[in-house]
Amino acid sequence: MSRDALGKGIVVLGLGNLLMSDEGIGVRLVQQLYHSADEFPAVDFVDAGAGGLAVLHHIQGRSKAIIIDCAYMGEPPGAIKKFTPCEVISTKTIANLSLHEADLLRIIDLARQLGQCPDEIIIFGIEPQVVKPGCELSKILADRFDEYVTMIHRELED
Amino acid sequence: MSSKLNINVHHVTRIEGHANIVVNATDGKIEKIQWQIPEAPRFFEVMVRGRNYEDIQTIVSRICGICSITHSLAATKAVEKVLGLEVSEQVDKVRILMHYAEQLQTHILHIGYLAVPDFFGVPSVIPLVARAGDVVKTIIRLHRLGNEWSELIGGRTTHPITLRPGGLTKIPTEQQFRQLQQQLKSSIADLKTVLNAVLSVADNIPDFERETEYVSLRQDAPPTYTLYHGDIASTDYDGVVAVDDWKTVTNEYVIDQSTAKWTKWHRDCYAVGALARFNNNAELLSPMAKDAAKTFGLTKGCCNPYMNTIAQLVECFHIVETSIAMIDELLKKGLKDEKVTSSPKAGKGAGCVEAPRGILFHEYEFDKKGNCVAADICIPTNQNHANIQKDFESLVPQIINQGEDAVRQKLEMLVRAYDPCVSCSTHMLDIRFVK
Repeated sequence: MSRDALGKGIVVLGLGNLLMSDEGIGVRLVQQLYHSADEFPAVDFVDAGAGGLAVLHHIQGRSKAIIIDCAYMGEPPGAIKKFTPCEVISTKTIANLSLHEADLLRIIDLARQLGQCPDEIIIFGIEPQVVKPGCELSKILADRFDEYVTMIHRELED
Repeated sequence: MSSKLNINVHHVTRIEGHANIVVNATDGKIEKIQWQIPEAPRFFEVMVRGRNYEDIQTIVSRICGICSITHSLAATKAVEKVLGLEVSEQVDKVRILMHYAEQLQTHILHIGYLAVPDFFGVPSVIPLVARAGDVVKTIIRLHRLGNEWSELIGGRTTHPITLRPGGLTKIPTEQQFRQLQQQLKSSIADLKTVLNAVLSVADNIPDFERETEYVSLRQDAPPTYTLYHGDIASTDYDGVVAVDDWKTVTNEYVIDQSTAKWTKWHRDCYAVGALARFNNNAELLSPMAKDAAKTFGLTKGCCNPYMNTIAQLVECFHIVETSIAMIDELLKKGLKDEKVTSSPKAGKGAGCVEAPRGILFHEYEFDKKGNCVAADICIPTNQNHANIQKDFESLVPQIINQGEDAVRQKLEMLVRAYDPCVSCSTHMLDIRFVK
């Protein structure tokens, strides 16, 4: 099916909800990065939204996954940090009552256990200022948007 | 010394508040039993106001990453009702196939990630990999099929982009439909693997029954096990209610223990979801789905809420079998290029589809320029809250002597059986760095 057209070695996944202000930063960035997709023929750029466990399928069979997401990291709003899943511990509280609760780090753990995980996973976490209903980024994140794009481009060029 | 039982399962999120299970008892005397859950997507109703009718389905597709196709379809149907648009038979069938794709992926996820670990007695799907790795891989393969199917028709795995009032901007080619059909045929063996795995642990499904009202869509012309068309039906009512009159069914009300509105119709609560659909329409299931139901002894009138998971599994067979036939029907008539056109019109209308977890209502009002002036969305989870509470009140006295851990486990399993929509609007990371 259409998936056959994908399956490039590297995937850049943007996660988040566009209707929740800064929480949508990952999706907004991947939508921006898509404009320069021609410069990176070995890379798929995917707006994965709030699809939760669908991340499993987007990363399966890739050599490298770059995931961009909003993250509470205890940093000042607007800060961007590059890290691997091994460098962090999830402090998210999940009651495990619903499919709607998703934790990216647990999904990556499941992919590892199944032997379906890329060799390399890089996460770009961006500390939000505002996470509430709204279609715009906060000024702090909007002002640094180009800087985020440059950082991810640099990662792809390496 | 008195014996105390205190269960307080807290789900804390930064946005929506909390979803809690609370049971307090002393010496077997129950003092408090509560299912507490906050409102989730109401704020989206404010966000669509002022937006043009052509944008509504795109905006609401972001309400939920699990049911994004369902929300988009309900909104599109409501908008088309206002505009007086009728879609072609081809569009109708392709949309139903799109809807089926999402139903399959979320049913499989619910069965595999939430319910089956319970039945196997493990805390989550991760330890299940060591215990039944092949089953987990089968579940993931089926989920992947659902995702790819959604992408093929919706243009994206989640948050579809091909839906427009009046039609679809793009449909798959004949070759793509044939390929999908072949994959669906191959998936039947995987579904049987999942069925056998669930059957092997089916004795662990709690034996609990409570009579209640079951509400779902029903389609009489032609008689169909429907997830998409039809009127509102109930096990407590012989007739049907038109979708435009949905508020006479939901009768939403406010209750102190929850910021979400609860609903009631002929009783003090009702249930929606796969078991409700089964109880209203089981005789219309496909042959393989009927066989699956028979395997588990699931019959019309079942009032064990834990069997909702089995009803979902039954629906997976129906979805696959029906989709294979529907692709044949589409291709037999030949695929046609169809233009999508619409123009604004003032008015108000409701749209309804069955979300994987139950009946979903969207209602919109537009001005003459086609800008939204009012919106109302009633999600299935809100319609199940009162029913979960009444289940708790009936179940806890029956199991109170089994100890805190057993009571907690059975209540969590019960909530999982309904798969409520908890915190679906944000999935962001919450982390600390390893020193």
